[in-house]
Amino acid sequence: MSMIEIQHVTKKFGAFTAVDNLTLKIEAGEFFGFLGPNGAGKTTTIKMLTGLYEPTVGHCFVDGHDVHWTPLEAKRSFGYVPDQPYLYEKLTGREFLHFVGGLFGIPYRDVKNRIDEIKDLFEIGSFMDKRAEEYSQGMRQRIVLTAGLLHDPKVLIIDEPIVGLDPRSARLVKDTLKQKTKEGLTVFMSTHLLEIVEELCDRIAIIKNGKIIHEDFAPSRNGNLEALFLELTK
Amino acid sequence: MRELLVVLNTRAQSFLKRVFELRWQTVVQNISSLLIFGGFAVAVFLVARFATDYLITEAHIGLFLFHRFLSMLLYVFFVTVNVGNMIVAFSTLYKSQEVNFLMSLPISHAKIFLIKFVDNFFYSSSTLTLLGLAMLLGYGSFFDLPWYYYFFVMFFIMLPFMLIAAILAITTLMLLIKLGTRIGFRLLLVLVLCVYSGGVYLYFNATNPMSLVEDVMKLWPNVNEYMGYLDPPFVKVLPNHWVAEFLYWSLHGEYARALPYFSMLFLTMLGLIALAGLMARRFYYESWLAIADLQAGRPAISGKTRSLFASSSFLKASFLKRSFLKPHWDVLVKRDLSLFLREPSQWLHLLLMVVLLGMFLVSLATLKLTFEQPAMQATAFMIIFMFNGFLIASIALRFVFPTVSLEGDAFWCVRTSPTQLSKLYWYKVVTALVGVGVVAEFLSFVSVFLFRQDASLALVSAIIIFFVTLTLTGLNVGAGSYFAMYKERNPIRVASSQGASLTFLASMLYLTVVVTLSLIPLNNYFTTWHAADGFSIRWALMPLAVIAIISSVIFAFSTRVGLRAIRNDSR
Repeated sequence: MSMIEIQHVTKKFGAFTAVDNLTLKIEAGEFFGFLGPNGAGKTTTIKMLTGLYEPTVGHCFVDGHDVHWTPLEAKRSFGYVPDQPYLYEKLTGREFLHFVGGLFGIPYRDVKNRIDEIKDLFEIGSFMDKRAEEYSQGMRQRIVLTAGLLHDPKVLIIDEPIVGLDPRSARLVKDTLKQKTKEGLTVFMSTHLLEIVEELCDRIAIIKNGKIIHEDFAPSRNGNLEALFLELTK
Repeated sequence: MRELLVVLNTRAQSFLKRVFELRWQTVVQNISSLLIFGGFAVAVFLVARFATDYLITEAHIGLFLFHRFLSMLLYVFFVTVNVGNMIVAFSTLYKSQEVNFLMSLPISHAKIFLIKFVDNFFYSSSTLTLLGLAMLLGYGSFFDLPWYYYFFVMFFIMLPFMLIAAILAITTLMLLIKLGTRIGFRLLLVLVLCVYSGGVYLYFNATNPMSLVEDVMKLWPNVNEYMGYLDPPFVKVLPNHWVAEFLYWSLHGEYARALPYFSMLFLTMLGLIALAGLMARRFYYESWLAIADLQAGRPAISGKTRSLFASSSFLKASFLKRSFLKPHWDVLVKRDLSLFLREPSQWLHLLLMVVLLGMFLVSLATLKLTFEQPAMQATAFMIIFMFNGFLIASIALRFVFPTVSLEGDAFWCVRTSPTQLSKLYWYKVVTALVGVGVVAEFLSFVSVFLFRQDASLALVSAIIIFFVTLTLTGLNVGAGSYFAMYKERNPIRVASSQGASLTFLASMLYLTVVVTLSLIPLNNYFTTWHAADGFSIRWALMPLAVIAIISSVIFAFSTRVGLRAIRNDSR
């Protein structure tokens, strides 16, 4: 069964079509890279996949649940990391994680244990008791990544995961995601950074003007992705 | 000067584009704003005209006493403009992202101050300007004044008057911030509250309206004569007195005696503008840095300039303790409580409202509230009842209206979690209803107690207040959701936005209807009281039923609109 399925999805904002009849299937344990130039429709697709936008036409499924007809079931099965890691400025990272855990209905003690379990994944222990207003972009990103994995989801949907991270943190994130995929996590990642795609992804799709213009397996083995991307998106 | 014009021009263009944008939603919003603001202005005009007519031709209080009452009203107006500008200025001049941006450009600090002052003045005083104009028109239409009189008074008397209040507010704020860095903001806050409360108390204590009425009435029927010797000396240096004096003398056609007051207002305004410019050069950047340091250099949860509650062990442990609630509700309650108590603009405003509430109740306790005529008795009760409603509407606007907006940029984590947005919405309604309801029923109980300890009156009052609370809470959550400003982090700006103003005006219209309907059972009640007859609660059933129906319809409509808006994915 596909973990993520996008069926003939179109999203229109007035007369403008942001995503045009998009169809995709991503299997369990796959690391999927979603590429495209600015304004191609990547974030809109992710927002439809996470229930933040409703498709004008078509359906999105996560773990077999329609995101718009059975949203609660679908949302229980994925974690989401947005491109802008907005947090509550007055809450500490730990409080934010407890908050997210509560929203997923995880009992208090389990959230506490889970935080202790995964806080080292992205090395957040040193700052998680400070308020978010004191965080750098990278710290926020690492808290949000931890929050995305807090409920042990089957699918992780990430919009630009490495932006704002220093080289050490970026390495940490890449290694963790790689490891998690090996353990069975399905990752849907949108990014501009081609070297990350080459290093991590099993499969990619390039979107332009709301349409998939290219799909490929194992980009790292199929020659120069940068040249291909530039050629396709010019 | 050039960069100043560039910024102001960009601001004006952005404003005009927003107002005249040809989008269906914008057009509908603008037309409704126009209708509601227009309706509000007409209502204020009619009330001002009626009040002037009543006081001059029915109550025969005379022009001198009338203008002294006007002066007292202007004093309240002055303090409102002053406090409003000071509260909004803290976000506009010190916490705005635009100021951060402007500070990085080669523009002098004094010019940034000026740009933000203009912004602040328009933002916080536009509704009060409309109120002032409508009152002036009501006043002027009774005395049949020519059109150019309104023009002159509005631009050369009222505008300087309001600018004086606004300039004093922001210069004081600058100095207070400087002072706050030395003595600590907690102590400063207590001092400011004491000074403002003391100022209002001393003013009304010194002007003493009751003894003024007695002194003037001793000279009846010559009440139109000028009795300036009755004014306490300190009042003569207050701008509200100058406005009242200008109106008094110009109404008598004695322009030579009115001119000095106009000159004093205008020169004071110019002097204060110059002083503010000089002070901005010297203090604005320093005070801005102090606030920036305060915001940036915060250790985890301690520090002497932190909120009164933030360092308490209760809050530190709030997220780290188990509670009896289900995880969903538990974390929502803890989040909202923590965000509220850690945001100074939230708890500071609450504290201010509690002080005002206390002052209101103390003043109420000292008033003589028993009259011979049942109609007067009912009217006195209704005025206090209306004021209770006004307080509930203000509390709801300030603390309930922004709740949906305060989900803010971090709303994504709720929207992508398995939490139903309708449940989130109802959670907001219920928590607001409980909070506002407790205050409202307390006010209702105290008001009844001060008149007469009677179960029937208490019951009728409690039922009406319940419906008022239900409606105003539902209206504010619903409208707050419809007009949500997720990008705005400052709750004060949300509560003073255009949507908030519309909601407040709608609340006032609703309150007027409720008060009108309540007059029937209350008049019956006081008539039977005076006649030592038994009051039957059945007399109140019909008006209560009508109030219940109107309230339920407004609540249901607001909830429907609010629920649709919170689910709207386009924002």
